[in-house]
Amino acid sequence: MITLAVFVFFAVLALAAAVLVVVQKNAMHSVLYLAFAVLSTSGLFFTLGAEYLGAIQILVYAGGIVVLYIFVIVIVNLTEIVPERRPLLAKIVLVAVPVGTGIEVAYLFLAKGFPVEARPGGGPGFRALAETLFGSYLLPFELASVLLLAVLVGAIVVARKKNLHDPD
Amino acid sequence: MFVLIPLFPLVGAAVNGLLGVRFFSRRAVGATAVGAAGLGFAAAVASFAGLLRAADPVSVRTLFTWIPASLVRTASGGLASLRFDMAFRYDSLAAVMTLVVTGVGLLIHIYSLGYMAHDKSYARFFSYLNLFTAAMLVLVLGANLGIMFIGWEGVGLCSYLLIGFWFSKDSAANAGRKAFITNRVGDFGFLLGTGLLVYALGTLDIGGIAAAVEAGTLAKGTATAAALLLFLGATGKSAQIPLYTWLPDAMEGPTPVSALIHAATMVTAGVYMVARLHTLFSFSGTALTVVALTGAFTAVTAATMGLVQTDIKRVLAYSTISQIGFMFIGLGVGAYAAGIFHLMTHAFFKSLLFLAAGSVIHALSGEQDMRRMGGLRTRIPRTYRAFLVGALAISGIPGLSGFFSKDEILGAAFASGNYLVWSLGLAGAAMTAFYMFRLICLTFEGEARFTGGASGHVHESPPAMLVPLEILAVLAIAGGYVGLPRLLGGGAWFGRFLEPSVGRHELHLPVGTEVLLMALAAGVAVAGIVAARAIYVRRKGEPARRFAARFPALYGLVSKKYYVDEAYEKIFVGGVLALGRIADWVDRRVVDGFVDGVARALRGISSGAMAFDEGVVDGAVDGVGKAHLAVSSGLRRLQTGRIYNYALAVVLGVVLVITIAVTVF
Amino acid sequence: MIPIEAVVVLGLLLFAIGFVGVVVRKNLVVMLMSLELLLNGANVILVGLGRHWGSPRGAILALFVIIMAVSEAAVGFALVLAYFRQKKSYDVDALDDLKG
Repeated sequence: MITLAVFVFFAVLALAAAVLVVVQKNAMHSVLYLAFAVLSTSGLFFTLGAEYLGAIQILVYAGGIVVLYIFVIVIVNLTEIVPERRPLLAKIVLVAVPVGTGIEVAYLFLAKGFPVEARPGGGPGFRALAETLFGSYLLPFELASVLLLAVLVGAIVVARKKNLHDPD
Repeated sequence: MFVLIPLFPLVGAAVNGLLGVRFFSRRAVGATAVGAAGLGFAAAVASFAGLLRAADPVSVRTLFTWIPASLVRTASGGLASLRFDMAFRYDSLAAVMTLVVTGVGLLIHIYSLGYMAHDKSYARFFSYLNLFTAAMLVLVLGANLGIMFIGWEGVGLCSYLLIGFWFSKDSAANAGRKAFITNRVGDFGFLLGTGLLVYALGTLDIGGIAAAVEAGTLAKGTATAAALLLFLGATGKSAQIPLYTWLPDAMEGPTPVSALIHAATMVTAGVYMVARLHTLFSFSGTALTVVALTGAFTAVTAATMGLVQTDIKRVLAYSTISQIGFMFIGLGVGAYAAGIFHLMTHAFFKSLLFLAAGSVIHALSGEQDMRRMGGLRTRIPRTYRAFLVGALAISGIPGLSGFFSKDEILGAAFASGNYLVWSLGLAGAAMTAFYMFRLICLTFEGEARFTGGASGHVHESPPAMLVPLEILAVLAIAGGYVGLPRLLGGGAWFGRFLEPSVGRHELHLPVGTEVLLMALAAGVAVAGIVAARAIYVRRKGEPARRFAARFPALYGLVSKKYYVDEAYEKIFVGGVLALGRIADWVDRRVVDGFVDGVARALRGISSGAMAFDEGVVDGAVDGVGKAHLAVSSGLRRLQTGRIYNYALAVVLGVVLVITIAVTVF
Repeated sequence: MIPIEAVVVLGLLLFAIGFVGVVVRKNLVVMLMSLELLLNGANVILVGLGRHWGSPRGAILALFVIIMAVSEAAVGFALVLAYFRQKKSYDVDALDDLKG
C-alpha cells in the first residue's frame, strides 16, 4: 500500500519534471528539471525493488550526466536562447503524435490485458542481479567497458580543436 | 504486161534516190530518170495494143493476197469474205490514164533535164518525179479501193515532197504542208467512204462493188453517203470546193512539177476515181447532182479569181481548178466519157501552158510577175507560139482539142436538163478565154516592162525544153480528134472506146440544138479573146484599172480569193490551236492541280504524323520524365534534413507496426 | 502491489514526453536532454517488467541502457561542440545539410 502511494508520488513527480524539462526556454532551467526527473525515476526504481539500479541511477545520471550537462552549458556559454520558432501546425502535430501514440499503446495494453502473467519470485534482488550479470551477461558487461573506453577516446577526439596536422 | 507499167518508174526512183544522189553524174541521173519514164511509156503502149487485140475488155491480175479472207458480216446480214489482194485491173479507162500519165510524164521528164539543169538537188528531183509517176500509175491500175488508196496516198506524199522541193524557202515548205494537210482532210472522207462500202458490201474490189450495186444489194442512202464521202476525197485531191486552197500555193514548186502533178495527173485522180466508181455514183442520183454542182460552182469561182491574178503561174493554177470543175460537170451529168475526154485534152494543153510559162520564166531569169513582162513575142517566138496554141485550145476555139471536149461536156449538161449547171459552165468558158488572153497580152504583147537584170538575158530555152513543148502543142491540136462527134463527121471513137469501163451515155439532142450549142460555146470564147485583146493591148489595161478603181470592194474581194484562206485559217487552224490551249489549261489546272493537291495532302498527312509523333509520342515519353520529376520534387520535400522529422517518421512507423502486430495477432 | 500496467503506462508517458522534446525543441542541448528522459522512460518499463517476471534481467538491461545513455551523452556533446564550431549556432534546423 505504502509502496503504491510512494510509487504514485514519484511517478507524478517524474512526469511533471519531464514536462518542465521539455517546455523550458532556458537551458539551465531544463537541466535542473532534468535532475528532478532523474531523481524521481530513481525513487521509482526503489519502489519497484531494483535498489541497485536506483543507486546507479543517482550516481550515474544525476551525478554524472546532469553535471556533464551543466558543465557543457557553462563552457559553451549557452546564453543565447534559440528562438523556438516553428509553425504552429507543426508544433501541434509534433506534440499530438507522440502523445497520442503513447495513449493509444497504453490503451491497447489496458484493454487487452498484459499478455504475460506474473511470475512470482520477488523483485530483482541484488544477489540475483549480480549472479546473472556476471553469469549470463558477462560478455556484454565486458563489451560495455570497452565501449566506455571507446567513448572516452572518441569524445576527446571529436571535441578537440582542429589542429593543423589533423586530417579531417 | 500492164503490171510492169508502174514498175519501171519505181525502179528509176529507187536507183536515183539511193545511188544517184551520191554517185551519179547529172547525165547518169537524167538518163536513168528519162529511161525509166520512157520504159513505162513503152509498157503502156504495149498494154494498150494488147487490149485492142484482146477479146476481154477487162483483165485483172492478182500479184498476191496481202490480207487473206476474213469473214465480215455485212449490213444486209450476210457473210462476205473480205480479202485484200495486190490486184491490178486493166481496161479501157486504165489504158487511157496510163497512156496520158506516162506520155505526158515522159515529155515533162525530158523538159526537166533542161529546166532543172542548174539546180543542186538534181538527183533528188528526178527520184521524186519517178516516184510520183509510179504512185500515180498504181492509183489508176488498182483493182480495189485499197490499192487505189495506196497510190492515192503516194501521190499526196510526192506532191508534198515536190511542192516543198526548195524546202529552205519558208513559203515553199509551208505550201507543201498546206497541200498535204488539206489532202489529208479529203483522204479522211475517202477512208470513211471506203469503210462504209466495206460495211455494206463486204468487198473492196471495184468489180465487186459495181456488181453489188447492179444487183441491188446496196441501199440508196448508204450509196449516197459512201459516194459523197468518196467525193470529199476527190475534192481534196482535185482541188475543188471546199478543199482547193492548196493548189495556188503549190505553185511554189518547180514548174515541171506544176505541169505534171497539178495539171495533168494528180489533180485528175479525183476525176478518175469518180469515173471508176460510176455505177455507184449513177445509182445515187443525189451524189451525182452534188458532183455536178460542185464542179460548176468551182469552175466559175476559180475563173473569177484567175481574172485578177498577177503571177503567171497562179493564173494557170486557178485555171486548172476551173477546168477540173468542168470535168466534174461532165461526170456529174452522167457523161463520164466526156469528163475523161476533157481530162485527156486538158492534160495536153495545161501541161503545155505550164511548161511554156516555165520557158518564159526561164527566159526572164526567174521573173513570174506579169506586170513586169510584156513584149516578149518577138524575143522568144517559139515559146510564144506554143503558148498561143495552148491558150487557144483551152479557150475552146473550134478545131483544137479543147473545143471538142468542152463542147461535149456542155452539150451533155444541157441535154440532162440541168440548165443551171450548163449556164455556169458557159460563163466559165467565157471567163476562161478572157483570162487566158489577158495572160497572153500581158506577157507577150505590148511594150516590154521587165527590169534591168532580166532584160539583158532574154533568150529562148534550150532544145530539151522546147521540143517537149512543141510535141505537146501538136497533141493539144490533134488530140481532140479521137473524140470527134458524129455530128461533125467523126465516130466518137473515144466514147465508144471507154464504154466497157464507164458505161454508155447517149446524147439525145436534136441536131439543130447541138449546132446551136457549139456555136454558142465558140462564140463566147471568141468574145472573151477579143475583149481581152481590146483591154490589155489596145488600151493597155486602162479599162481594167478603172473598173477596179470604181469597185474597189469587189476587186479586193476577188483578188483576195474571197478571203477563203483567211476563213479556213481562223476556223480550222484557230480551232485546233484553241483546243490545244484548252488542253494545256486542263493539264495545268486540273491535272497539275490534282497532282499538287495530292502532294499537299501527303505533306499535310506527314506533318500531321510528325505532330502526332512529336506531340503524343514524345509527349508521352517526356511526360513520363516530367511526371517523374514532379513526383520526385514532391517527394524530396520529405528530405528536410531535420532530425526530428526523421525521428518522428521512425516512431510513427514503429507504432504502426506494433499496432498492426498487436491487433492482428 | 504496483500494477504492471501502471508502470508500463508511466514508462510510455515518459517516453512520449521525451520524444516530444526531441522533435519539438530546436535547441540542440535541450534536445539531448529530452533524449535522456526518453531513455529513462524505457528503463522504467524494463525494470517493471523484470519485476513482473521475477527476473533480474530487467534491471540488467536497464543497467546497460544507462551505460549506453552515458556514452551517447558524451559523444553527443563532443559532436555538439564540433557542430557549433562549424555552424556557429545551436539551432537544430541549421543541421539540414542532408536536405533535398
